[in-house]
Amino acid sequence: MPKQVKLKIDGEYVNATEGQSVLDAAKANGKFIPSLCHVQGLSGVGACRLCMVEIAGGARPLPACTTPVQEGMVINTVSERLSKYRRMIIELLLSERNHVCAVCVSNGHCELQDMATRLGVTHSSFPYRYPRLPVDASHPRFVLDHNRCILCSRCVRVCAEIEGANTWNIVSRGVNSMVAADLNEPWGDAESCTRCGKCVEACPTGALVVKGKAVEEMVKRTQTVSRLATARGGSR
Amino acid sequence: MKKVRLATTWLDGCSGCHMSLLDIDEGILKVAELAEIVYGPLVDIKEFPENVDVTLVEGAVSSVEDLEKVRTIRERSRIVVSLGDCAVTSNVPSMRNQCGVTAILERAYLENAATDAQIPNQVVPQLLPISRPVHDVIKVDVFIPGCPPSASTILNCVAELCAGRMPEPSLRYKFG
Amino acid sequence: MKIQDLETLNAVRQKGLAKFKPARPRIAVGLGTCGIGNGAEDVYQAFASAIEARGVDIQMARVGCFGFCAEETLVNIAIPGKPMVILNRVKARDADAIVDDIHSGAVATGRALCKIESWDHLTGVIDYGEGFPDIPKWNEIDFYKGQKKIVLRNCGLIDPEDIEEYIAIGGYRALLRTLRNGEPERVIEELKTAKLRGRGGAGFLVATKWDFMRKAAAGTKYVICNADEGDPGAYMNRNEIESDPHSLLEGMIIGAYTMGATDGIVYVRAEYPLAVHRLEKAIAQAHAYGLLGDNILGSGFSFHLSLVEGAGAFVCGEETAMIASLEGRAGRPRPRPPYPAEKGLWGKPTNINNVETWFNVPVIVNNGGAWFTQIGTDRSPGTKVFSLVGKVKNTGLVEAPLGTPLKTFVYDMGGGTGTGKNVKALQTGGPSGGCLPVDMFDTPVDYEALAQLGAIMGSGGMVVMDEDNCMVDVARFFIEFTHSESCGKCVPCRVGLDQSLRILNKVSKGQATSADLDMLEDLGPMIRDVSLCGLGQTAPNPVLTTLRYFRDEFEDHIHEKKCAAGVCEDLFLSPCENSCPLHMNIPRFIQLYKENRLEDAFESVILDNPLPGSTGRVCQHPCDDRCRRAGIDDAVNMREIHRFIADSAYGTEIETNVMKRLLARRLPDSGKKVAVVGAGPTGLAAAFYLALLGHKVTVFDENSEPGGMLRFALPEYRLPKAVVAREVTFIKRLGVSFVCNTRIGVDKTPQSLSKEFDSVFLALGTWEASPIDLPGVQCQGVHHALHFLDAIAHDKDVRIGQKVIVIGGGNAAIDSARTAARMGADVTVVYRRQRQDMPAIPEEVDEAYEEGVKFAYLCAPHRIISDGQGGVKAIEVQKTTLGEFGVTGRRRPVPTDEVMRMSCDTIILAIGERVDTVFTGGSQLELKRDGTIKVDRHSSETNLLNVFAGGDVVTGASNVSNAMSHGKRAAEMIDIKLTGEHRFARLFQAFGYGQVPPVEPAAGDRNTSPLLTPLQRKSTFDEVMLGFSPEQVRHEAERCLRCDAKGECVGIAAE
Repeated sequence: MPKQVKLKIDGEYVNATEGQSVLDAAKANGKFIPSLCHVQGLSGVGACRLCMVEIAGGARPLPACTTPVQEGMVINTVSERLSKYRRMIIELLLSERNHVCAVCVSNGHCELQDMATRLGVTHSSFPYRYPRLPVDASHPRFVLDHNRCILCSRCVRVCAEIEGANTWNIVSRGVNSMVAADLNEPWGDAESCTRCGKCVEACPTGALVVKGKAVEEMVKRTQTVSRLATARGGSR
Repeated sequence: MKKVRLATTWLDGCSGCHMSLLDIDEGILKVAELAEIVYGPLVDIKEFPENVDVTLVEGAVSSVEDLEKVRTIRERSRIVVSLGDCAVTSNVPSMRNQCGVTAILERAYLENAATDAQIPNQVVPQLLPISRPVHDVIKVDVFIPGCPPSASTILNCVAELCAGRMPEPSLRYKFG
Repeated sequence: MKIQDLETLNAVRQKGLAKFKPARPRIAVGLGTCGIGNGAEDVYQAFASAIEARGVDIQMARVGCFGFCAEETLVNIAIPGKPMVILNRVKARDADAIVDDIHSGAVATGRALCKIESWDHLTGVIDYGEGFPDIPKWNEIDFYKGQKKIVLRNCGLIDPEDIEEYIAIGGYRALLRTLRNGEPERVIEELKTAKLRGRGGAGFLVATKWDFMRKAAAGTKYVICNADEGDPGAYMNRNEIESDPHSLLEGMIIGAYTMGATDGIVYVRAEYPLAVHRLEKAIAQAHAYGLLGDNILGSGFSFHLSLVEGAGAFVCGEETAMIASLEGRAGRPRPRPPYPAEKGLWGKPTNINNVETWFNVPVIVNNGGAWFTQIGTDRSPGTKVFSLVGKVKNTGLVEAPLGTPLKTFVYDMGGGTGTGKNVKALQTGGPSGGCLPVDMFDTPVDYEALAQLGAIMGSGGMVVMDEDNCMVDVARFFIEFTHSESCGKCVPCRVGLDQSLRILNKVSKGQATSADLDMLEDLGPMIRDVSLCGLGQTAPNPVLTTLRYFRDEFEDHIHEKKCAAGVCEDLFLSPCENSCPLHMNIPRFIQLYKENRLEDAFESVILDNPLPGSTGRVCQHPCDDRCRRAGIDDAVNMREIHRFIADSAYGTEIETNVMKRLLARRLPDSGKKVAVVGAGPTGLAAAFYLALLGHKVTVFDENSEPGGMLRFALPEYRLPKAVVAREVTFIKRLGVSFVCNTRIGVDKTPQSLSKEFDSVFLALGTWEASPIDLPGVQCQGVHHALHFLDAIAHDKDVRIGQKVIVIGGGNAAIDSARTAARMGADVTVVYRRQRQDMPAIPEEVDEAYEEGVKFAYLCAPHRIISDGQGGVKAIEVQKTTLGEFGVTGRRRPVPTDEVMRMSCDTIILAIGERVDTVFTGGSQLELKRDGTIKVDRHSSETNLLNVFAGGDVVTGASNVSNAMSHGKRAAEMIDIKLTGEHRFARLFQAFGYGQVPPVEPAAGDRNTSPLLTPLQRKSTFDEVMLGFSPEQVRHEAERCLRCDAKGECVGIAAE
């Protein structure tokens, strides 16, 4: 039986299991910490940096998704600085690619859109970059629209860690990073792809969607992914 | 009490936000009590008036005309509101930004023209190199995202402004 | 031969010593990458052939780099029994002579940089011998003084490709002892005592890290050397590996044994082929000698070391990214925990340390941790190697104890810029570091002190920057670097740096706004606090530090569209134009003159600069320092060209015609009245432009005539009164009225003026002498330079004696000295520093020498001796020596006990001027502590409504062109305030002129103005510089390279 630890989140004592991340512990105790790259059950990557929390005694904020709980930890998930940083991150994501909600099939079922609302982001103070990005519709069942991708790497992890196909990876670096199938081929040509569709279910935005679905139907089932992960061997 | 001088305008947009504004139904009575609409697509005045208290701007800044207009609006308005996604994010109009003006014009006026193909050089205002959100060009005081924002969101916001308060971002605000 | 024990090790040691310190002379050529780049390979071959040709018994060796890269090729000469001598800048052609010298038992002193009598390799001492008294010891020369070589202990001395030489100087003994003792805890104990901190930049305690790893579960464990050195301007690790690879190996083997590691990897950049080659060779040799592989030194301990070449991604210097790269994945970092010591390469416990950290291990084991703590500071013991590069004379690798102040690196070891230009900043830590301004050069170099200032020590890059470096461009450069090296995994680094770079690009193009700066300042802390790895967490440092310490430069780019350093090329026309305080379009008037359009040329000149006759004679000509022609031979003499154009125009039809053109272009009467206080260069410039802008201008001055310093401080022989009078007349004809003999503060006050006029511009001079604490200063016969010059200019009866001492080194000192010399006196200038430190124009000093003025340098006034009747008998001066460097980059004079008496009857004090604050007339005008007026940098406005100020009264004593630039700017700002419009640009004429740069610019040296002979000068006040002849002007104009002509301009193009 894993050891139980006691910690304090936003002034409230909560119990957690040793090895659990701060994010999971908070969630288990009904506390909300914003996050976009994290999916329960998949490994934590600390890519979106929304879940940054302040831990007493630490010099800089730490990502809740990859920081394990410790006995006696005192955690602050809300502060003026954190909200400012979180809003900036959302604004940076909105400015990075072409997130045109009005014509997006995920409109209304998009975690980025919801997070913007939830964090009170009404506009991006950063100028939009308007990069020219392709849409890969070569797959018989799914579409990859790079314009909506936030490089959270959920697809990469779900494919590697649950399906075991390792179809997805991220190529290039910096602001030129792109999700790519197999050896940077059109998705439809990627032989490793099993067409299981878990990447689509895990994708938080309209970057990976099912062909032919209308806006009202295009609902992602991220919880299914988490359930599969748990069934496969529990939370990592 | 002195009535608030309210103006509305559209730049590069679909006028959907104005439709949503009209959807406030009987709410218009409340607005009429508080504000005088001094300029807008539904008002006869052609010249944007001086000393406007609140101006709701719909649409992105896409042409030279939009740019001039929005600058005049800024000069003459106390509070400028970006109404709807086109004004706030440049939304659909910005989808041309990846292609460049020439490609867009050629596609629209030459390749797709049935007869008399030519790129217009008069009457139609000249396009800017990219379509931009309003706050890229002028200072904007209030943002109401949405495509379109709901009638009640607009009504709430206008009512707050008319009452002399700045509306707080609420969970009703949503891109798309 | 496998080494098994101390005996076999000693046998190898003897073999090595026979090579390292043979019984015959040895010539060792420095063949690091730096040496090879300077032709060291040829030098080596030349020596080999010279020895062969002569059949002499001299041994040749290849060694690494001894650090002084600016002086490559370095060659070590060791003649048995004598000190080892290091020769610098050796060329292949020198080989014959050097070999001959050695053969006769000598070394030519002239070729020698320094000598080494005895060297402590910290693993063994090598004594060479004594001798060569004329050659300085290695640590007596500036570059090495203050250095302490621990990491670099063997570099440039031993052959890096021969393990026996490393063993000869005591190498691998620490390893042997460690394995024999079999107590890994002791190594950790020593490291703990030594408080050794990681040298890669983060400064984590090595002992703690090693202990953690040692305690990790047994099984496969890895040690890794991080040699992925990738910051611009840093090459410490490259040199260390190239020069002494075995110190690294020994450190790693000891580390592996201590931590229980079985395998090791050196991750080195593929761009370092020589380091890779020497390291591979070293690993092979260590295997052959039983120091690597199975059963090392017969102890039963096995350790396998391999080398992996990194592809050059900067982020792979981050340990988790490096591990990913080693595993064959893309080099992207992952969050810690888990730390590599727990879960590293292939999931096994892994320790990663920087090259220099490993280098320190053998000597700490050898000499003990306590020894180590005697060096450096309490919290950061030991030394650190820096690569000192950039705008510094002595570039190279320097190693100094931690805690050494920055200025020691820049000035003492580095020798300053060596070009006469001022150092502006020091960049430490590369793209993760920051730029520190000169006034922080007292900061000691250690982990904490630099971090506190927003920079970091980093792995050791140190880039010196001078006034030609634009800090906006520096920030932009580093962000461009981190932007393209960002792995893209986390949002703040990926997108935040992209947005930062976009803003910085806008700033350097002059398109940014203040809101953009605010955004940069918002982004910086967010990227720093939120990014996943060290790359993002430190990437904003260059921006944040430049914004913190050089904000003015950012604001100049934004508000004035100016890049003073002349780097951001969208913001200026040519380097000369950019350096001119008045921003004269110099290439244009030169071209117009070449096209024989003298009238246009004069109009171009006078519109940019209303007093060209004066500046043509007395300007400090900063343009000379920036002229690109200087890269070929010498700068174009632009000052003389514009003087010639002005002199040819005044009093001729050209003047009349240009006046007509100006009057025709003058803007219509605005009905506004402006008062200008002070008819010096600042006031005259402002009046000129304000009149052209259509305002009614009245200039007030306390003197009897306009001209200010030009008329009353500059001596006739430099600037004839007639020239000033002509220029004042020109301005009068534009409609400016002058009211003389009116003193502000007495006759009128700023406030009374602002009631009478729509706008007031205060442009007073600094006539008041700075106070000096000098006994005897009240004696008769003691004058203040400006008062003295002023009295002469007023034709007053000024009595000076036969023997005059002038104290000071500025232009006022030289002017006073030369004036006194013309009055028949014997003049000596006393200055507390050296000639090259004088702020006076160098040509003026030359001319003073020619006129017989004597100079006593390194002397400071001590007291004045009275003759008992109120007059002066002598002055006592204290000899000074030059001490530490101050913020101006000059050494501070330090008085000594030596006092010298100089007899004299007159003393002229030229030690600085200040503002006489009478002019405030009791108004609420806000002044700075030194009495100058506080104004807004950009608008020239004072705290009083409609009152502006500029020139010396704002900056303190400066020079003519700086003063005029203030007047010019103030005119523009006053006009904006008066009319609410930007009308200044309307005054300027567009000229069409040739835009083709000369394919073959005229050859030949810079022309200088002919001078009166020194004999003629001694007796008269006639103008000394006679001005160019027409042939000289034409030739000089044709020397111009036309840097302003950009792009594909062909033929005559409109401006």
